[in-house]
Amino acid sequence: MSTTEDTRTEPADEAEETVGRADAVEEPEDAPTPGLRRRVTPAAAIVAGLLAVLLLTGVGLLIRTSQLTDPEATSNTALTDTGATSRVIGDVSNTLGKVFSYTPEDTQATELAARELLAGTAAGQYEALFGQVKQQVAAQKLTLTTHVVRAGVTRLDGDSAQLLVFLDQTAERKGKKATTAAAQLSVTARFHDGHWQITDITSR
Amino acid sequence: MAGTKTWNPLLVAAVALAVLAAAAAGWGGWAWYGAAHDDSAGYAQTREQVLAAGQQGVQNMNTLDHKNLTQGLDTWQNSTTGDLRTQLVQGRAEFEKQVRQAQTVTTAKVLSGSVTELDVRAGKASVMVALRITVTAPKSQPSAKESRLLGELTRTPDGWKLSALGQAPVGETAPTSQPSAAG
Repeated sequence: MSTTEDTRTEPADEAEETVGRADAVEEPEDAPTPGLRRRVTPAAAIVAGLLAVLLLTGVGLLIRTSQLTDPEATSNTALTDTGATSRVIGDVSNTLGKVFSYTPEDTQATELAARELLAGTAAGQYEALFGQVKQQVAAQKLTLTTHVVRAGVTRLDGDSAQLLVFLDQTAERKGKKATTAAAQLSVTARFHDGHWQITDITSR
Repeated sequence: MAGTKTWNPLLVAAVALAVLAAAAAGWGGWAWYGAAHDDSAGYAQTREQVLAAGQQGVQNMNTLDHKNLTQGLDTWQNSTTGDLRTQLVQGRAEFEKQVRQAQTVTTAKVLSGSVTELDVRAGKASVMVALRITVTAPKSQPSAKESRLLGELTRTPDGWKLSALGQAPVGETAPTSQPSAAG
């Protein structure tokens, strides 16, 4: 701001801060020169004060809000969204039951289920594994039945989820006694085309 | 103040800022009110506390050094409440004797965990934890095995504590359990 046209004697800085002075008369309105100086009136001071209070209040409340809502916890809707939680547990449990169960007569159904319900890394892992198993299943008359003992959602965020699944796998060779083994899997799933697909499986 | 009114740029800026400040305050107030009264946010945070307490509790209950029995078993007791704690207290002397004789060192690592049920009002929760337990006995190689545990937690004045803990049963031909998400 230029001070060259200021006819008053006080320095510019001081003039800015002078509040409510008797001679704080506005410059003539018919002379809107570029360097026009204006005094800070009491009203302006009050407005400025209110402004500061409002800003501080706003900022303060937002800080308090972020303390209340830990984004890590709240973006994870496992259990908070009961419908979605049951849905993903149901879909993933069904899928694991289907793709890890087969009979010597029908490995086809298992393969088809896997192709539909597995995606990403899980699909690749499964194909590599099932290729080997398929021959044994036929040769040894092997029946495998998998059922989910317990499943829990560790993370659910929109269309992606992570689960921990406890499985029982019962293997039976024709004419022999069945044996049951426990398995623990970490499963990553993705909601796609109306159902949850498994994209990654890690044994625990 | 009559005639052609020239807008004071300072005033314009002040009004604009005032509007912004009011908006910021309003937004802040709305967000804060929402957060403070958001049940699901509180529920989500309780779920995180329960998971942390459950995993720590399970780890504590699978950690024991025969050279440091008193401290180890005190930690066991402090991680538990209710029936589970009562059982521990009652069986403690006998158990101490067994571990002293076996001279085992047991350590555990939580591989993954999940809260399967949480009833905030009742102060009850269920967790499932996949664990690797390593047992070292004298004159033998440490043996590690994977374990799967189901635990129940109860809220106490000192936080969430285990009130039941056991292996997830293997080979039971029960129908597939659907963990419920009780609110």
